[in-house]
Amino acid sequence: MLKQLMGYTATFLLASTVTAAPMDYNLSPKKVAEDTWVFEGTVEDFSIKNGGNIVNTAFIVTDDSVVLIDTGPSLRYGKQVREAISKITPKPISHVLNTHHHPDHFFGNQAFSDTAILARADTGKLIAQNGNAFSDNMYRMVGDWMRSTEVVLPNQPLEGDSLTVGGHKFRLMNFSGHSGADLVIFDESTGVLFASDMIFYQRALTTPHSPGLQIWIDELKKISQMNYKIMVPGHGPVISDNRAIDQMVGYLTWLDKTLQRSAEAGLSMNEVQNIPLPTEFADIALIQREYHRSVVHLYPSYEESAF
Amino acid sequence: MRNFAVIAALLMGLAAPVQAQQVDPIGSPLWDYMRKLFIGDAEYQFDDSIKVVVPEFAEDPTQVPVTIDASAYAGQIERIVSWADLNPIQHIFTYHPHPEVIPRVSMRIKVQQGTAVRAAVLTKDGIWHVGGSYVDAAGGGCTTPSTGNANPYWESHLGEMKSRLFPQEQGGRYKLKIIHPMDTGLVNAIPEFYIEQVVVRSAAGDDLAKMELSQPVSENPVITFDVRHADRKHSVWMRDNSGNEFEKQL
Repeated sequence: MLKQLMGYTATFLLASTVTAAPMDYNLSPKKVAEDTWVFEGTVEDFSIKNGGNIVNTAFIVTDDSVVLIDTGPSLRYGKQVREAISKITPKPISHVLNTHHHPDHFFGNQAFSDTAILARADTGKLIAQNGNAFSDNMYRMVGDWMRSTEVVLPNQPLEGDSLTVGGHKFRLMNFSGHSGADLVIFDESTGVLFASDMIFYQRALTTPHSPGLQIWIDELKKISQMNYKIMVPGHGPVISDNRAIDQMVGYLTWLDKTLQRSAEAGLSMNEVQNIPLPTEFADIALIQREYHRSVVHLYPSYEESAF
Repeated sequence: MRNFAVIAALLMGLAAPVQAQQVDPIGSPLWDYMRKLFIGDAEYQFDDSIKVVVPEFAEDPTQVPVTIDASAYAGQIERIVSWADLNPIQHIFTYHPHPEVIPRVSMRIKVQQGTAVRAAVLTKDGIWHVGGSYVDAAGGGCTTPSTGNANPYWESHLGEMKSRLFPQEQGGRYKLKIIHPMDTGLVNAIPEFYIEQVVVRSAAGDDLAKMELSQPVSENPVITFDVRHADRKHSVWMRDNSGNEFEKQL
């Protein structure tokens, strides 16, 4: 009887541990400049373990209200961001910006559907086109973290080349190298550059919708001319100089040349995927996996021009 | 008790032929079924020298690169049969390489889920040599409409071919591409429409490389194969399941 009772207790304890473990992203905003905080994600791929928290999102507490840049991979993430911001400031969130249409940057929108969610018109269109497919894929990759998450489109077009909120003037710049429509935001009052996925640092860049590596390289060179004090990449640690750009230009240049040479030599896609990566890129997280993916995304067009 | 012993003996007896079979190195649940389908009860062996190169993960399940290299048995090959165990249409291609070609071929295929991809090589001594690799995938490659379905480009360009000869250290490599939707027939209201036959001929009229393709070959196929003598003239001929024929000097 006692044994049986202990059995029950053990079961109960086990069960309670399971239910008591909430899906918590443990978001803790890091202050990177005056009025400016960043939620830094891991340099990993989507997994059930990390719940998709592999991305950097940021907010700026202006004199009047809060501006949030990107909303993360899920409704749950969006809610937890909202809660974390409320612990820093009682000011309301007035502007939510989506930098581009990739799933780790906009699926938290649902937690802000009572707010102005702004994006470039192209980004809104791309979210509408791809959102449901992204959603299927996200549920597959991170599982229950996505529960109840739905596609919530930006509800206001973001127009013009600047936005002023509560004494902060944000310069809005259009690029395309990463996703076809990439918004980069520069806060002129603090010198912080919110580069989103135009910049990856210490985490391999991804190319599923890149219009071309040379376009990305040229745009990175433009960004490197900017007079920023702090750079917040879309993935990887916050920095204050051009190290991320140098790393990316090095890799993108190598990738472009490798694909070009391979196509000229008639290599098959498998042969290209099996080319060893130069050791100088070995320390970049996920480089091998992302290289494999990029070959699939990009090699067909290099092959096409080699016929 | 004695009954149990008899039953056990009977079961062991029944199980014996199964145990004599070789264990699939990939551990695919459908290995034995596929084996019977494609090579029947013929003698076979798993053989590492038959290379099936696939990526670990299918980034795009409608365009999964596959290379099959049976050059270890060059000159002794009757035919090569390739399939994907867990595809709704398993057969990918059957290849009859002439001794004048290097039996190595690359193309892209569709996969419906993570699956073993096989190449069974029948040598002239009547033995099948089986190579294989596993590709993981999110899936859906066979039931996704071809991009041609949303874009009418293919209608005015059907059968257009591009090709190029790339000189190699030994011989040469042809890479060719043809515009064709390669519809599987598994997408609602889009009938199957795919290239069934590919033949590379020498100027002398020999069939150097003869292939029968199935629906899993990707849209707008890009096929790479290697010939021993790059200096000779070759041509390629294809026919799809609607009877359209396409021909090009390589």
